[in-house]
Amino acid sequence: MGTKERSTQRRRGVAFAATALSLALIAGACSSDSGTGTADTTGGTTGGSTVDTILEEGTPVDGGTLRYGLEADVDGLNPTTSALSAPGYVMGEAVFDTLARVAADGSIVPYLAESFTPSADFKSWTVKLRPGIKFHDGADLNADAVVKAFLAQQSAALVGLAVRPFYPESGAAVKIDDLTVQFNQLDANRYWPSALTSQLGMMPSPLWLDAAAKDPTLNQKPVGTGPFMFDSRTADNVTRFVKNPNYWNGTVHLDAVEFYPVPDSADLLDLFNNDGLDALHTTDQTAIKDLKENGTVTNKLDDTAEESFQMINSQNPPFDDVRVRQALAYATPKAKILELIGLGVSRSADQMFTPEDPYYNPAVKQDADQPEKALPLVAAYCAERGTEINPVLNKPTCTDGKVNMEYQFVGPSVVGLRTTEIFEEGWKVAFNITRDEVNQQDHIQQNALGQSNVLGWRQFGAIDPWADSVWLLCRTVGPISLNWPRYCDPARDTLLLDAQNTDDPAARAKGYQALVQNMHDAYTYIFINHTLWTNSFNANVHGTCDIKSPEGVALKCTIAGESFLNTTWMDQ
Amino acid sequence: MAITLLFAVSALTFGAMNVLGDPLFNILGPIARDTSNPKSVKLIEKAKNDYNLDKPLPIRYGLWVSGFVRGDMGVQFSTDGQPPVTELLKERIPRTVTLLILGQLIAVLVSIPWALISASRADKFVDRLSTATTFMLVALPGFALAIILKYVFAIRLGWFPLTYRALDPLQTRLFQMLLPGFVIGLPAAAIYQRLLRTDLITTLQEDFILMARSKGVSKSRILFKHALRPSMFSFITVVGLTTGALIGGSIVVETVFRIPGIGSTLVEAVLRHDFPVVLAIVMIVATAFVLINLLIDVVYTIIDPRVHR
Amino acid sequence: MSTEAPTTSEAAAPAPGEAAIKKTLGIGFWICIGWLLVMVFVAVFATRLPIPDPKFNFIKPGQAGPSKGPSAAHWFGTDKDARDVFARTMYGARVSLTVGFIAIAFGMFVGGTLGILAGFFRGWIDRIFSFMFLVLLSFPSLVLAIMLTALLDRKLFTISMILGVLAVAPVGRLARATTMQYADREFVIAARSLGAKNKRIIVRELLPNVAIPMSALALLGMAVAIVAEGGLAFLGLSVERSITWGGMIQLGSDSSKTLQNQPWIAFFPIGVLFLTVFALNFAGDRVRTYFDVKEISL
Repeated sequence: MGTKERSTQRRRGVAFAATALSLALIAGACSSDSGTGTADTTGGTTGGSTVDTILEEGTPVDGGTLRYGLEADVDGLNPTTSALSAPGYVMGEAVFDTLARVAADGSIVPYLAESFTPSADFKSWTVKLRPGIKFHDGADLNADAVVKAFLAQQSAALVGLAVRPFYPESGAAVKIDDLTVQFNQLDANRYWPSALTSQLGMMPSPLWLDAAAKDPTLNQKPVGTGPFMFDSRTADNVTRFVKNPNYWNGTVHLDAVEFYPVPDSADLLDLFNNDGLDALHTTDQTAIKDLKENGTVTNKLDDTAEESFQMINSQNPPFDDVRVRQALAYATPKAKILELIGLGVSRSADQMFTPEDPYYNPAVKQDADQPEKALPLVAAYCAERGTEINPVLNKPTCTDGKVNMEYQFVGPSVVGLRTTEIFEEGWKVAFNITRDEVNQQDHIQQNALGQSNVLGWRQFGAIDPWADSVWLLCRTVGPISLNWPRYCDPARDTLLLDAQNTDDPAARAKGYQALVQNMHDAYTYIFINHTLWTNSFNANVHGTCDIKSPEGVALKCTIAGESFLNTTWMDQ
Repeated sequence: MAITLLFAVSALTFGAMNVLGDPLFNILGPIARDTSNPKSVKLIEKAKNDYNLDKPLPIRYGLWVSGFVRGDMGVQFSTDGQPPVTELLKERIPRTVTLLILGQLIAVLVSIPWALISASRADKFVDRLSTATTFMLVALPGFALAIILKYVFAIRLGWFPLTYRALDPLQTRLFQMLLPGFVIGLPAAAIYQRLLRTDLITTLQEDFILMARSKGVSKSRILFKHALRPSMFSFITVVGLTTGALIGGSIVVETVFRIPGIGSTLVEAVLRHDFPVVLAIVMIVATAFVLINLLIDVVYTIIDPRVHR
Repeated sequence: MSTEAPTTSEAAAPAPGEAAIKKTLGIGFWICIGWLLVMVFVAVFATRLPIPDPKFNFIKPGQAGPSKGPSAAHWFGTDKDARDVFARTMYGARVSLTVGFIAIAFGMFVGGTLGILAGFFRGWIDRIFSFMFLVLLSFPSLVLAIMLTALLDRKLFTISMILGVLAVAPVGRLARATTMQYADREFVIAARSLGAKNKRIIVRELLPNVAIPMSALALLGMAVAIVAEGGLAFLGLSVERSITWGGMIQLGSDSSKTLQNQPWIAFFPIGVLFLTVFALNFAGDRVRTYFDVKEISL
């Protein structure tokens, strides 16, 4: 579930399989472009994409089963119908390859594909495939398969929501010859290939797609080109993949990998520490702190992708007034949250970029921790508009000089509750808060439909920022909206579309910096921290970072919680 | 009578689940509201058809019942190819049943000797200690017991595995269920012990016992052969009746030890508003409850020839 | 309190002709009652006691970790959000005791009434009420509670009512069985032959006698309700926006590291919850023995 509230921790007691069926539209969207910014900082555990490698690597040996712990289970692993959450990505990347990958220096390099060439106006890209690659079931990876997969994603009811804003209704993917496909977009985009590094670029077998369309239970038995093949699955307990002996890009060392969903982060850590797991994938701050202090564990950390923030739906009173949004920001007890929930592990965020990013705007700081500034704003608002109705609560917008707001969070969840309580203590100087605890699915649904005032969210994890525009453009506001705050600003749209169409890095940087300032002034996001993911491995696991593209380009070891197992091996 | 009961239970649950919100919304998500998009409208129509959502409530209930008795409990509210409810439950029920059987076994095996010892040394130190222990076991909430036992025996001492793994062979899985079985069984053992002890003490005061003692029959023989048997009726009754309570206890245990059985599935399904799953599980539990009661009545009649209606 | 001197029972007099029961409540009973009274006092006056604010985050910048062990300033230590555990435990008593009390009161009032009516009038009234009890009993209690909390809301009163509903069936069956026992007694027959109306019989003759075993059940029932509320809180489903013992235990036991390194967060509330439930169980059991209420098969 890519869009759980920050540091979601399922409390012990209710094993919450994150089954956001359809609602995964968000999950899908949010992780459809997981990736870092273009910069890559190595070293320093304070942030960026880093790896603590503890042991000498040695010579790979074959064999062994890697037990991988994840924060949640998936409903299905069909990239054309299942919006993949972050755990879904880890599993997906074992069985599927993507057409492109991110290189260690942050550039996009072809992977399953051989090359991508833009047209002169950058509205079309031609993708050439490599000959001779077969899916696990023997089907060929060719243009027909690629076109079929793309069109399936585009037309899928929910997964397609994040795809359709950018492509024409027909003719978005066209076969040129057996190994060449042309993709046509609505807008000029010099940076489009980054789309092929995520769910859109995951290639499933066409035979399997057909079979799964008739029998949806096959969605749980994925068939791709990846280093591992589906073996067996027991929902909410374990999913097992075995080695693909004919993997097209190098030898796979592990015999098998087993994924264990453990929704309770404390349980997950316990299992890992007590030799119940060899690897784990989590965003829980307490666990990460412990893993970092452990000394015998290899941690692949990355916080350059998503940010966690409090998000305001600006469509209805009282939050359609910027003064109220600004007041909420001022009253936010961000320092306390970072200290008590963040435990000093994740970095404070002021905007959607990290400081290493060329698009980072150092002049923009998130307003927070200044409750005294909230009071005059709220007073002015209430005096003027205090008798309007807040449609989410069906109450007046102000009572006794404070704004009435609804706050939604996912429960039951220990951390969710703690976080909510801390926010409330800070906001209550100027706001009367009505809590709305909902389950994961309802949370996503209601957000998509605009039925809440304020909630916690995670977003902006795109490898290249053009893909994050889907959350910010006017055109994605609608009855089911991907522009969650439902905030439309034509000037912002221009900034976004220009920035994806300039090849001058300086101009691009300026454009995104202006975007950051625009987002700050709109006060629809209250940034809290950069979401920190870790893939952590026991001392007996090696080779977690050695992957190269077929051309020999070293690939980025971890991107926003993704992890690749091609070259991983274990001590016997 | 039993049938009426089952109807009442299922009707109540069915009604409650439908009041909980809009089933269409639970199945389709935001699509359910997207009436402007023709693709969405098609999906909405299909869902309405598949799930009979445009028919009135009593008819839907009737359809569900007819499906249920044929073994078809419908499909889960999931668009991603989750197995139908029947399959899901077929997979998960055995785990819960095994857990409950283990728990009851442990409870019985622990409580009988315990009660015998306490009864034979009534009001002495051992007995007083036992009484205190049973009080404590009953007073400790199930989740607290689960946490404490897991911490002490699985994490610190490492005697038991931490978690259940579906891929393991049968013996390993049974061993993985042993600690959870204790969490379920110990509080039940306390209850059984108390009842059995009281019964035994009463029986031990009866005339025929005194006669046997005066004839020189050994104490242990008396306990086992003569005292235990009359108490078996109420013992078995209590064991049977407690099964219902243990099902509730299994919910907590299944979640703490991560065993995908119907207890944890039920809680998730309620929170997810997945009606078919909730209905199916509630019905199965109620049916089991009724059957157990019937079984107890039958066993009662067999064991105690004095009971004639 | 001497444990040997016989006491006369002054409570609702047993039926004429029954000897006074010569058992005593014992010192253990009074210790338990003492503890319960302390808890009630704390629950009622928590806001006025000189204890720290349970919601305040006592963060001192630059310290290693917000959670600290017991100290002079914080008797039970602080939790992960640097809140005082002692204060929170005291405040937790408010929800737990209130829920327990209302639940059992509701259960006894409704269940008792239905049970007495069923046992007295028999016939179709009995069949209907017994059937209702049976339906309620067919749901495992935790399951029913979870379903109802999802269905309704999680206000204090609602949760208490839900747990009260769970109590109706067991209480009702006990009331019914006891009523049926007494309804055939001579004194009832005598009253009837004297021309007493049903209502009078129920209120003057039956109620006092049924009330005895029921009051024994009250203490035990309250213990069950508190444990049930703790279970709900542990699952995250109890009274919203409130400090509860179950919720505190949940917070303090979310990982083995917490249990190992900061055990005070979970174990103080566990201890207080346990002592309270133990006290209720023990006292209830003593009352039951005192009035010689046999285990009436339900």
